[in-house]
Amino acid sequence: MLLLAIVAVTTLAANSARQLRYMAVAFFGVALAAHLIDDGSLSVSQVVVSVCAALVASTVLFVAAGDQRFGEDPGWRLWIATIVAAATTAAAFAYLRPATGDEINTDLFGPDPSGVTTEVAAFWLLSSGIAILLTARGAVRGSLGALLMLTGTQLLVGMVPGPDLALTLLLSWLQVVVALAGAFLIVNQRAAREA
Amino acid sequence: MIEVIALLGITALVAFGVRKRLAVVGTMTLSALAVAIAFVIALPVDASGEMLDLPWRMSGLARLAAVILLGTLALLVLAVWVDEPAYNFFPTALAVAAVVLAVLVLTTPIAIYAVLVLGLLVPVGSFTFQVHRNRSVEAAYRHFSFVALGGFLGMAALALSASLGRDQPPTTFVLLVVILVVAFALKLAAIPFHTHAALLASEVPASALALYFGVLVPTTFIAFAQILVLSGLLPAIVQIGKVQDLLLALGIASSLGGAFLATGSTELRRVAVYSVIANLGHALVGIATLSGPGIIGAMAIALVTGAAATQQLLAAGTLERRAGADRPSATTAPLAALAFVGGGFAMIGAPPLVAFPGHFFVELIAYSYSGWMGTALVIATLGVLVAQLRAAMVLFRTAPERWRVEPRPIAGVVGALVFLVLLIGGVQPDGFLQPIAAFADEFLRALHPL
Repeated sequence: MLLLAIVAVTTLAANSARQLRYMAVAFFGVALAAHLIDDGSLSVSQVVVSVCAALVASTVLFVAAGDQRFGEDPGWRLWIATIVAAATTAAAFAYLRPATGDEINTDLFGPDPSGVTTEVAAFWLLSSGIAILLTARGAVRGSLGALLMLTGTQLLVGMVPGPDLALTLLLSWLQVVVALAGAFLIVNQRAAREA
Repeated sequence: MIEVIALLGITALVAFGVRKRLAVVGTMTLSALAVAIAFVIALPVDASGEMLDLPWRMSGLARLAAVILLGTLALLVLAVWVDEPAYNFFPTALAVAAVVLAVLVLTTPIAIYAVLVLGLLVPVGSFTFQVHRNRSVEAAYRHFSFVALGGFLGMAALALSASLGRDQPPTTFVLLVVILVVAFALKLAAIPFHTHAALLASEVPASALALYFGVLVPTTFIAFAQILVLSGLLPAIVQIGKVQDLLLALGIASSLGGAFLATGSTELRRVAVYSVIANLGHALVGIATLSGPGIIGAMAIALVTGAAATQQLLAAGTLERRAGADRPSATTAPLAALAFVGGGFAMIGAPPLVAFPGHFFVELIAYSYSGWMGTALVIATLGVLVAQLRAAMVLFRTAPERWRVEPRPIAGVVGALVFLVLLIGGVQPDGFLQPIAAFADEFLRALHPL
């Protein structure tokens, strides 16, 4: 549960950040906490790969910022994104939660084999990402929205039985490509605006 | 097979490093594509394997589509190399080739989806050029947003449906399948999710546009059909008619809307792009009928439309460049103009090209499904016909005293090659349709697993 709280707080921090560099650091916090949530199937190799990809993605955005001040002021979008994300998370959890008989562990520390914590984190990240992406004015917040959505998706994919390591590797590559494409757009949008 | 995908991926990275040395990067890209095509042709149908527990299989459809799409990519690379040097295009084309192969041979739905999204994001680098003079960066950003939104929503829905037990309430599956369908509609630029395609059509380089609509859009459509088959969601779609209705509505809206928009367009690129959207609408209707002829027609339309889009968009790019500030005209690039008109024949599904069977099957099955649906598709085809005729008339409105072939007529040569292949396919359609029919069999078996 503590990790879930960290995911929520760092997402809000990333969402409210005006500077891209703070946003990148906050995103790394989100990803780190999200990938450490233990639903009983946590594997060291998968966590290492996912965290490395998140680190690379954050670094790419950090470097793309160019300077400390560059970013995008969320303004009213912060509140819209937060309210929409909270409402959507609740609705998604109500409609899409698998009907399992597992006991839900709500301890502050320790694993939650029922997967509820992972699902709530995934729905929160997906909803936040969608809300940020839909209200973004440019590539700065657009990239953050895409990366948050992808992190949520990674959590849901981790719950699917199958080739875990291969899927983790694929999604990690995807995360790096999203960050690179986002950084490319950020740099070009900035160049176009400053011309 | 994984080795070939890796080879293409590594070559893409190397090509990025030497992208400004045109002779080196051009040769390297074409060689890698030729090796990949040769390997695909040499590999027997139904060859399979596994890597990191990720299974792959070379089906008949995968082989056919791989040859067509990699061949299209090779033609695009040749055109860019000779006529419109764009450094970022070569590594992008190689990365897209790796993605196309992976999407076609992988058999794990989430893996297919992840690779597809990766492939759709790669062209962002090719879409953006001369950012101070145009809105290409805005178009690329909008494309990025649509792909991210549709990609991650769809993948999340797919992951949730795979982790859920089959004893869930039907509304849960309806919601997940609806999200999946909408996610693909976003990526396919189906109407009403086409706004990014409209901006792309007017702002990005023609070669990058051809890469997207000629290679990546057909790949996305094939991935959609494959994911439906492999995910085990088809029986739920059959049981709940609402999803089928949604697919039909999206298909009809895209068909009619695309044709309507194409008819009203004065720019060659927009005519081509909206014709693609109209044809994808046809293909969506074909899939939505959940019938053998519908599925065969849908896949055939997707593949042929990709080839025709490449032909038309390359020709449109050449005509625009040769015309400069004036309106594009056949007088400045007659071979490119002919290629554009030839592509129009394939877009409307005219016989004897291999584009005909796909359109015929889908329109026939739509009529048997309901009279108004068949009529809507025929009206859409007529709309595309009118749009293509208008474009051809504008191109050939003025005639010079003496026709002279343009210098470096690569768009015309590519157009002639594509037209010839479509003609040969039309004369002997079995080779083209049989692998698609085998896939339709798989689709129908997945529909009724017992």
